[in-house]
Amino acid sequence: MATVQVSEAEKVYILHGVRDDLRVDGRGCEDYRHMEIETDMVSNTDGSAKVTLGHTDVLVGVKAEMGKPRPMVPDEGYLEFFVDCSANATPEFEGRGGDELGMELSNTLYKVFNNRYSVDLKSLCISRGEHCWVLYVDVLLLQCDGNLFDAISVAIKAALFNTKIPKVHISEDEEGGKEIELSDDPYDCMRLNVENVPCIVTLCKVGHRHVVDATLQEKACSVASLIISVTHKGTVTCVRKVGGGSLDPESIFEMTETGKRVGKALHAPLMELLQEEESLGKKRQKVGFLG
Amino acid sequence: MLKSKTFVKKTRSGGIMKIVREHYLRDDIWCGSEVCTECKQEETVLQKDTYIESNLCSFPHYLLPDTNIVLSQIDILEDPLIKNVIILQTVLQEVRHRSAPIYKRLKDILHDKEKHFYTFTNEHHRETYIEREQGESANDRNDRAIRISTKWYSDHLNNTPHGQEEKAEEFGLLTYRCEEYVKSLIANPELVDRLALTNDDKNEITSSKVLFPEHLPLSRIQSGIKSGTFQQGTFRASRDNYLEATVFVHGEGDDSTEVLIQGLQNLNRAVHQDLVAVEILPLNQWVAPSSVVLQDEGPKEDDVTEEEEEAELKSGPSGAASRKPTGRVVGIIKRNWRPFCGMLFLSQIKEATRHLFTPADRRIPRIRIETRQAATLAGQRIMVAVDGWPKHSRYPNGHFVRSLGSAGDKETETEVLLLEHDVPHQDFSQAVLSFLPKMPWNITEEDMAVREDLRNLTVCSVDPPGCTDIDDALHCRDLPNGNQEVGVHIADVSHFIRPGNAMDLEAANRGTTVYLTGRRIDMVPELLSSNLCSLRSSVERLAFSCIWEINDKAEIVKTRFTKSVINSKASLTYAEAQMRIDDANMNDDTTKSLRGLNRLAKILKKRRIEKGALTLSSPEVRFHIDSETHDPIDLQTKELKETNSMVEEFMLLANISVAQKIYDEFSECALLRKHPAPPPSNYDILNKAAKSKDMVIHTDSAKALADSLDAAQVDGFPYFNTLLRILATRCMMQAVYFCSGMDSDFHHYGLASPIYTHFTSPIRRYSDIIVHRLLAVAIGADSTYPDLMDKHKQSALCNNLNYRHKMAQYAQRASVAYHTQLFFKSRGILNEEGFILFVRKNAIIVLIPKFGLEGTVFFENKDKPSPKLIFNEEVPSLTVEGHSFNMFDKVKVTISLDASNVQHQKIRMSLVEPVNVNGMPVTCRMSSFQVNVNGMPVTCRMG
Repeated sequence: MATVQVSEAEKVYILHGVRDDLRVDGRGCEDYRHMEIETDMVSNTDGSAKVTLGHTDVLVGVKAEMGKPRPMVPDEGYLEFFVDCSANATPEFEGRGGDELGMELSNTLYKVFNNRYSVDLKSLCISRGEHCWVLYVDVLLLQCDGNLFDAISVAIKAALFNTKIPKVHISEDEEGGKEIELSDDPYDCMRLNVENVPCIVTLCKVGHRHVVDATLQEKACSVASLIISVTHKGTVTCVRKVGGGSLDPESIFEMTETGKRVGKALHAPLMELLQEEESLGKKRQKVGFLG
Repeated sequence: MLKSKTFVKKTRSGGIMKIVREHYLRDDIWCGSEVCTECKQEETVLQKDTYIESNLCSFPHYLLPDTNIVLSQIDILEDPLIKNVIILQTVLQEVRHRSAPIYKRLKDILHDKEKHFYTFTNEHHRETYIEREQGESANDRNDRAIRISTKWYSDHLNNTPHGQEEKAEEFGLLTYRCEEYVKSLIANPELVDRLALTNDDKNEITSSKVLFPEHLPLSRIQSGIKSGTFQQGTFRASRDNYLEATVFVHGEGDDSTEVLIQGLQNLNRAVHQDLVAVEILPLNQWVAPSSVVLQDEGPKEDDVTEEEEEAELKSGPSGAASRKPTGRVVGIIKRNWRPFCGMLFLSQIKEATRHLFTPADRRIPRIRIETRQAATLAGQRIMVAVDGWPKHSRYPNGHFVRSLGSAGDKETETEVLLLEHDVPHQDFSQAVLSFLPKMPWNITEEDMAVREDLRNLTVCSVDPPGCTDIDDALHCRDLPNGNQEVGVHIADVSHFIRPGNAMDLEAANRGTTVYLTGRRIDMVPELLSSNLCSLRSSVERLAFSCIWEINDKAEIVKTRFTKSVINSKASLTYAEAQMRIDDANMNDDTTKSLRGLNRLAKILKKRRIEKGALTLSSPEVRFHIDSETHDPIDLQTKELKETNSMVEEFMLLANISVAQKIYDEFSECALLRKHPAPPPSNYDILNKAAKSKDMVIHTDSAKALADSLDAAQVDGFPYFNTLLRILATRCMMQAVYFCSGMDSDFHHYGLASPIYTHFTSPIRRYSDIIVHRLLAVAIGADSTYPDLMDKHKQSALCNNLNYRHKMAQYAQRASVAYHTQLFFKSRGILNEEGFILFVRKNAIIVLIPKFGLEGTVFFENKDKPSPKLIFNEEVPSLTVEGHSFNMFDKVKVTISLDASNVQHQKIRMSLVEPVNVNGMPVTCRMSSFQVNVNGMPVTCRMG
């Protein structure tokens, strides 16, 4: 992961600031940086979104392909994640440098998203035990400036919201032979219910307090952080601790409480924004990568 | 401006793919009109002065047809009267998608400068491009695109043009239905006839009575075929009986079955060559094919019941043994309608505009057309396109396309013949001609550098008289070591025809040059076929040479292939060459060379025959054509000289050598020719025939067959052997081209060669061009290209070549038949001797050697009581009123021309000898026998 070198004096400055709820860039401890979202960025995916959080830049594409349901859950589709740490983001990712981080990120994403409580996996089933939709979620890191998890989770939620799966219809002939038929209208497609899709809130323990959306400098001052995925209702679906340091149970509880509060507050404007963008339809002026 | 087009597609493996294509919109697409001052176009297609007299719009206007009009009324658009038409890209794409032949015709019109048709690329124009909206079907979107473009044109040219489709009216555009518009063209009423009937019109024509069962929808047919309840096959109508047909069901691999269809209801509106779905009837309803000849005689009203005819049909032989799988047509998978040639059968009612059209091909049903020029069209050969066949109509509906000329006219008849045999015979297009070398053409330094200079060799060509496309030449000289060097030099056509260009594609499509009596339809433009490629004497020509070193026993010591430059010393006819060889006084180089070749050829031929090559026979005739009138004045059977077989021998040798070379080099994609061994059952008739003369023909191998044919002689009956060989020819299979990667059996049965190809006639056969290219690559003289190495593409090409060759043969035969008729027309009535070739249940087939003419002679006559016929299938013999006819019996017949039916002129024969027991000539009783000229012998050309 991209790291920065911070001097002792700087560390003290940051720590003192956080203690007083005033961070280097003027934010409070529970504030996010400026966030930009654009969906439907990549035309050859079925759904896509780009999220910019501070200087962190993440692109997510969702491609729906037909597959066979997993034997244990014959009536559900599933998601596959792949995180590509592009060397564009930071030179450290060059060669196989980003593989480890990519693996770690995608493992977390599996835990957070690939379950029936987060995504309505049943709606991805086409015919029980035979055909289902597999959503390939490809995450591309374009720029790393801290707090990757939150940015990725928001981008995934937006991309899933944007995903349009072509409607298929199974016709059966007399002998029971099944034929998949595809509607010829490109507008005839299925949308996913993303209401329960959680967002990840990463809380960084800095000194005695914890901050949301830590910058790289803040991250350097922190020994451990907690990754909490929260639904729009404030339900915590997953908690993970990352980083070398230890957290005492008391502060874990505090951090979880903060996470729930911040997560809840994050969902509402996000959904509102996505709905608004959707309602603009084709008239929307696309910003793209150069905007 | 960039837009993207997105659509979802199902892949072959069952997956679903989203496909995104970039789509660029531009501002610099011009309207193409002379009237326009805004567009910065360099040249315009649409004229300023576009006046067609029309009731509906009395001002100059352009036409802008929509897709349906193009699809259904292409004949109208092809009319020279219709000019200044805007074809939208949307329309063009839709047409391309829905009908490839119509697309091709439309493209041809667009290329025709005289027609002033303009393609407007509205899909790329910024102002006329539209995106598909939610809930809009692809069709609706295209219709909207057409309306938008029409409106754009209308605004752009200040209301000059207007479209034709109905829906555009909401835009306030001037739109007319095609019928209305065409009918409004005051000056040109004949155009109305070319209108295709649309659905609403059909209803008026027919009564409400439903004559045919409904066709099943395609989805039902497909699931039925999958489950095996239905069979899919090609519908083949019977030539002799309009109420009977067979459906050829293609099974797995080679096994394919035929399903018999009988009766109008079961035929269910299928037309010859359609792809249909059939349902096999239960076993107790199976019938045997009837041997009755039934022709749909006159126009029948729809309410006339067909029961009478059907009853007649069923009265055929009903022995359980001869029953065949019988079925009924349940649906049409693909219509294979093409414009048909034929003649108009005038309605009895004088003022009627609806008439029946009788196609020249008897397998095609009559077609009902509407025309106001019936009086003019009567007696002319016309072309008619089929529009549809509603279930309550006895006949399909169609419309008049064009007139070919008056019937009986030689030009017209040849045209009909070419059209009916699907022989492409239009003049070469400008695009094709543009690839011809510039004249004057000379051999350049570069050519000389890569070619071997063989100009000093004594090369000469031997061909039939009057041949202008000389594609082979030979030489022979002694080598210092006592061996001989023999060269076969073939015109290097592949030097001029480069792969992939328009000329190459055209040649590949034509496949072969078609030789009709008195006319030649070239495969390549004349400049090449008769000049630059033709190896004429005393000019330098490019050649592809195959040169052998041959020892005294005619064994090949060394073979090599090279591109070369030659200068032929003499172009001889077979007769001239023969004279030189025979004339002991002539000792020039050419003659010596010929003698050497002749000597070697004799050895080669002997060896080939020892190996089991067949010498078969077929009566081939040649006409002497009057140079003024082009009428045949005499007729002679082809005479074979020693020199014929000399040339043939070396061509075979070259072909075999090349076949081996290209197969060694490209085992997967060599184009070869094979001649499969016929199945033993094919020889039944030959065995029976031989038995009647107490002879045995061994057919287990080609060698055995050749030997027993040689041994079969009857004293005092020299023609017997020839007759037997003619029969043997009928037993053979067709030789076909194939791609070596797609087949494992390469054997050429007739030539007894393990491998064979065609190399020696690239001017008249496309297969040879491909073989030239392969050989050129093999010896490093030319570069290869992807299609040449693609066995699937080659295989498809072979299919086309085989089809074209077959059709060319049929056309050739039909042309000979037509000229035979002309000949007999001028000769009046003739008495000739002939032999019985086959004996059938109710007929004998007579061959007249002098004319190579063969005909089926029926002993049954509709109007007269049938004579007493006893048929013995075992012998076979037919006893008519006590006189028995056997195979090979000599008979004497009177030949005359029956011109009572202009469309199907017949040669009539009457038996003169033998007389029957009462001393009365058989002819008196049997009145007349018809000779079906279409049943010409099936020749099996060697090689």
